[in-house]
Amino acid sequence: MNKAVVESKQDEEWQPKIIAFLCNWCSYAGADLAGVSRIQYPPTIRVVRVPCSGRINPFFIIKSLIDGWDGVVVSGCHPGDCHYISGNLVARRRFAIVKELLDFIGIEPDRVHFMWASAAEGELFAVMIRKISELVKKLGPNKKFEKKW
Amino acid sequence: MKEKILKKDQVKQLHEDLSRYYSFYAPTKVKGNIVFKKITNPEDIELEYLNSKIPPKEILFPRMETLFSYKIDEKNIEIEPRTDLEEKILIFGVRPCDAYSFSLLETFFNFGQFKDDLFMKKKENTVVIGLACNTPRATCFCTSLDYNGHPHRKDDVDIFLTDLGENYLVNPISETGKAIIDKLAWLSEANNDDLQKAEELSKKAESLISTKLDLQHTAEILDPSFNHPLWKEVSENCLGCGTCTFLCPTCTCFDVVEDVDHYNNRGKRVRIWDTCQFCLYTLETSGHNPRNTKIERCRNRVLHKFNYYPKNYDLIGCVGCGRCIHLCPVNNDLREIIKKINAIKNENKKEEVVVA
Amino acid sequence: MVKQMGDIQAENVEIEKKMREVARSLLIEKEVDVIIGYARGTVPLSSSPIFIKNVEDIDSLIWDNLCYVNLARYVVPPLTEFVDNEKVELKVGIVSKGCVARALIHLAKEKQVDPEKIKIIGIPCNGVVNRRRIEKELGEKEVLEISVSNDQVIVKGKDFEEVLPYQDYLNELCKTCKVKSPPMSSSLSDVIVGESIEISSVEDDFSDLSEYESKTPEEKWEVITELLSDCTRCYACREACPMCYCNLCFVDQNKPIWFGKTSEMSDIIVFHLVRAMHMAGRCVGCGACSSVCPMGIDLKLINRKLEKIVKERFDFTAGLSLDVMPPMMTQKMEDSEDFMLGEH
Repeated sequence: MNKAVVESKQDEEWQPKIIAFLCNWCSYAGADLAGVSRIQYPPTIRVVRVPCSGRINPFFIIKSLIDGWDGVVVSGCHPGDCHYISGNLVARRRFAIVKELLDFIGIEPDRVHFMWASAAEGELFAVMIRKISELVKKLGPNKKFEKKW
Repeated sequence: MKEKILKKDQVKQLHEDLSRYYSFYAPTKVKGNIVFKKITNPEDIELEYLNSKIPPKEILFPRMETLFSYKIDEKNIEIEPRTDLEEKILIFGVRPCDAYSFSLLETFFNFGQFKDDLFMKKKENTVVIGLACNTPRATCFCTSLDYNGHPHRKDDVDIFLTDLGENYLVNPISETGKAIIDKLAWLSEANNDDLQKAEELSKKAESLISTKLDLQHTAEILDPSFNHPLWKEVSENCLGCGTCTFLCPTCTCFDVVEDVDHYNNRGKRVRIWDTCQFCLYTLETSGHNPRNTKIERCRNRVLHKFNYYPKNYDLIGCVGCGRCIHLCPVNNDLREIIKKINAIKNENKKEEVVVA
Repeated sequence: MVKQMGDIQAENVEIEKKMREVARSLLIEKEVDVIIGYARGTVPLSSSPIFIKNVEDIDSLIWDNLCYVNLARYVVPPLTEFVDNEKVELKVGIVSKGCVARALIHLAKEKQVDPEKIKIIGIPCNGVVNRRRIEKELGEKEVLEISVSNDQVIVKGKDFEEVLPYQDYLNELCKTCKVKSPPMSSSLSDVIVGESIEISSVEDDFSDLSEYESKTPEEKWEVITELLSDCTRCYACREACPMCYCNLCFVDQNKPIWFGKTSEMSDIIVFHLVRAMHMAGRCVGCGACSSVCPMGIDLKLINRKLEKIVKERFDFTAGLSLDVMPPMMTQKMEDSEDFMLGEH
């Protein structure tokens, strides 16, 4: 996840870089649907496909912030739809804690987002990404974990 | 007379004069803890202190030290070596035990075929101004050590100060120290009364050290005691944290890690303090850990200082500052451990090596 | 539970006496093989955990306001010395104030201790004196003697004596502690010295956090940075924590290296953040991490926040009962989603 790899051509306007962890069964397919349906959303996200939202260790989220991503999105199946029955429910508790603690130490709450998106919700996925991009853009670059050299 | 007098309010001027040539480090209070920091405002200098929480070894052997840094630009990697090693360092107000610890550190970093350039270069560029210890802690035991430890020991510093109440008696020791004093022409001369007072304070300080340990035979006793049940006993309540070793003025262990800055495509290789008290310290790639439990790890700390050091360098690897005693979270008292070791002396004479 | 302020010292002496009696009879009747308790430290402002196997040593057991280490730390992972030659685990009696018992209950819930092998010797606790704060505030005056009497902490040293109000010089977490004695439902075959308390749920308004939580993210970051800036990464907080029993801590993992081990501020904050994350629903608020920190860093903000998160979200308080499932070990369909991004 070297930043150089994802460094896009900078236009006159700053664009955030957001890492998205999408579960294989719902959200990834949802993103795919958005793509094949040609629904427009900003090119700010880079997708990491994971088997289930329950696979997402909070380390991934914190490590992404340390490595300089401006925002993090985690998306999984709606409660009840998990391919593994309860993976997303376990994840939900975990994310609640992560979100509160990040907020507590002073990371802006709008940097890290959790959502549900099913395989049929291409439109919703695009809407959410548009919204998240806007929110993160408003915050500006993520510099908190930058090392003092 | 070579001794001079520095009035307490003149410390400011001393700082002003010397910080022109040196990076001036002195004890200062950070959130209630005394630590050595580079001083820019002489008001921050805190000389009425028992001893610093973090020993001044931190200046020459910091918690985190860059070995080199690098930049990655597409496929090119550009390495930048350290350039700040020529910096002249002055450490002001060091207690005699900590001043001696610099020589112990040097013994380690300058030993054998592979010398540590970083440390040695900094050491060469360092001037140490010592400060006599008039208020030893109850846990201090420098007088028990083999280096003729004394709260007023002058041998390891360039200039030695003694707090006489209103003034400091300034005693140039090394050639460098003499040269510095010569430059500070504004210092007033000391008279015989001052010298006598310093002498009295020295005696008084010595009498204040209540802990007397017999360390003469400790190294020999430890030789056959590797598997003695004592180690189990003394490690029982150890938590396995790194307090005793991180805050020890003579501990030298470090780990080399990569510190990568993904933001800016650069990184540095750093060394950070490590300690034999951590499980990971001796863990081998195969998964085998020769010091798997805290019994071995506690043993190693004692053996290293009181057995391996005497064997390798003919010195005891302890200065007697007592930091590990009063900072240990579970009060695992080194003095008690030494006493227990000394107590097994007679046991060993029975020729039976006890196996745990 | 507001207790009438009695003479703390007299109370402690009484407890100490009873505790020794209980411990003695447990050892004599071979109900336990070893007793873990506190012994007098060799330096003031300290106490030293002790392991008693012989009845003759019972009198080294003490009880005062400096028993700050959480003794549950010593049973997980089981110490090698608790397993005898036939690999039979010894039965351990543990001198437990409220937080030690809570830690044991939680550890039993996590299947880290076998309730059969543990006997809680319950002690009503008056709180632990904040040794780091006293040290810091006295500055460069060495404390040689400390005692508590009535509602005062008296510290003596060479040429000085200071009297400090006891309630102010308690550990921050003891000030808000609601479970001073072991919770009764524990059923870890307990013996209680003094009165026991029946408690199934703790009421708390977490008003002590409101000031911090009203800050902006920038201000919070500043406070946290300032709080942790002295950290030397000696990991005393981790090692003293009864809940930190992992074989390999996340900071020590190097395949891959998740988080840096350096003293860079960002690495230090990440260590404490991720450790806190692992403590959610598990921290019993004993304050051992702050008491043992050699630099005197007080982690109470983080401890309290953890307590608050699980209390408000999952109505859970760690270590009160063996019957309730800890929140991070289970899930519910109807859990709150207020933190998630909605469609609007």
